[in-house]
Amino acid sequence: MRDMTFGQYFPGNSFLHKLDPRMKLVLTLLFIVLVFLPQNWWGVLLTVVFLATVVALSRLPVKMLFKSVRPVLFLVLFTALLNVLYVHEGTPLWRWGFLHVTTGGLNNAAFIAVRIVCLILGSSLLTYTTTPTALTDGIERLLAPLKLVKVNPHELAMMMTIALRFIPTLMEETDKIMAAQKARGADMESGGLLRRVKALVPILIPLFVSSFRRAYDLAMAMECRCYQGGQGRTRMKQLRTTRLDWVALSAYLLVLAGLIVLNILL
Amino acid sequence: MALLTLENIVYTYGVKSPFEQHAVRGVSMDIREGELMGIIGHTGSGKSTLIQHLNGLVRPQQGRVLLEGKDIWEDPKKIRDVRFKVGMVFQYPEHQLFEDTIYKDIAFGPRNMGLPEEEIDRRVRDAAATVGLTKEMLDKSPFDLSGGEKRRAAIAGVMAMEPQILILDEPTAGLDPRGREQVLAMIRDYQKQRGTTVLLVSHSMEDIARVADRVLVMNHGRVAMLDTVERVFSRAEELEAIGLTVPAVTKILLLLRQKGVAVDTAAYTIDQAVTQLLLLLGGDRT
Repeated sequence: MRDMTFGQYFPGNSFLHKLDPRMKLVLTLLFIVLVFLPQNWWGVLLTVVFLATVVALSRLPVKMLFKSVRPVLFLVLFTALLNVLYVHEGTPLWRWGFLHVTTGGLNNAAFIAVRIVCLILGSSLLTYTTTPTALTDGIERLLAPLKLVKVNPHELAMMMTIALRFIPTLMEETDKIMAAQKARGADMESGGLLRRVKALVPILIPLFVSSFRRAYDLAMAMECRCYQGGQGRTRMKQLRTTRLDWVALSAYLLVLAGLIVLNILL
Repeated sequence: MALLTLENIVYTYGVKSPFEQHAVRGVSMDIREGELMGIIGHTGSGKSTLIQHLNGLVRPQQGRVLLEGKDIWEDPKKIRDVRFKVGMVFQYPEHQLFEDTIYKDIAFGPRNMGLPEEEIDRRVRDAAATVGLTKEMLDKSPFDLSGGEKRRAAIAGVMAMEPQILILDEPTAGLDPRGREQVLAMIRDYQKQRGTTVLLVSHSMEDIARVADRVLVMNHGRVAMLDTVERVFSRAEELEAIGLTVPAVTKILLLLRQKGVAVDTAAYTIDQAVTQLLLLLGGDRT
């Protein structure tokens, strides 16, 4: 359980860590657009180079970064396989019954796979370099226009903060309860599906009970500190855009322009 | 003969990440049959990680754990049998209660052992009696009991497995003075009656002084001291340097010695201290 890496903040003091979370959120969304823009391999190459530069700037261990791809590896491979089998362009290489493999198909498959991997790496950079609090702060500020349609962005952000805040707590709790039940001989590793589902009961019930207890405690603590939503609340850490943020945005725009040029020229 | 032997146990959390934490750095020790050992150390001294090695919940990264001379990880598939022999009661054990009656919850361990129904019934009733739960309570839901009763029911759940070694991690944490007293008395009685080896983890020196034969003092993942209660408490200055407080009685004697009075600082109960002081004053205890 302790080895969960996806979406975990990795402390550091790099260029990426220092960016304003709002800018990082916007840039991540823009990066997703960027990934789907190229229409040829030169464009993909430019995207990959851009991503590699950003990764280098983040000073994160590359090995750990690639771990976040693992949960979606199946998706990547599946999409690639579909492309190999269903795109019938270019010179045929191999056929067996209704299955055709062509150069065009292989090309397409690789094209898509590289882009999906870029997409995941790029977006995981956001959560790796931003603390959950900074992230929700950023989301709250970006969603401010929602007030016009009577949705309270502060409440949304608070819910997110609480949920995120309690993920590690709940994981720790699960670890503890599992250890305690294992100490009483609970067997979670063997048996058929039904037995395994049944083996979860001694873990889930105490986990639910403690979640409710925690929720009551938290609500009480919030009320004791006069929490009443975001009205009139001031912040200790004001979000500020600095020169770094504008540098990052400019870099992005340059790459974007480069891609458009490549798309037109080639 | 040593019932349980640790050979140079090393354990580190989050190896090669910025969260790397050396919890246990090379611990070797023996646990003797039938003794009641106290384990003490402040938060983060590695005592909780260490005890989880004893019943195979944590596999040592280096070193071996020997139960009756056999490496418990010799056959990882049989680790469950080790857990029945080395019973472990975690901190706040009442948080793990899950069945709809106390009876069923206490029976969870023995049932996992695959015992026949009559044997399970005998063990549940025995364990409930040991911890002082009445017959009527056995049919209640765990959530209808008081905090102290829940704690005792959860401890009974491990006792009912009748382990050779019983480990209790902070069994008195969060209880009121009376609940504390009850739980400690219960542990001492259990140990006297059955002669089971008991390990008691605590950060209350008073608790440990009252019940333990030997004390293991952990500091920064290493064994700082392992000796009888008297000898450990006579090294009060070292204990304080580690950040542990000695019992109030010992502290008074220590201050007396600093003032130049020749007292033995190994005393840790009021009775012992009174005897000491009377001796010093040349009087008899009458």
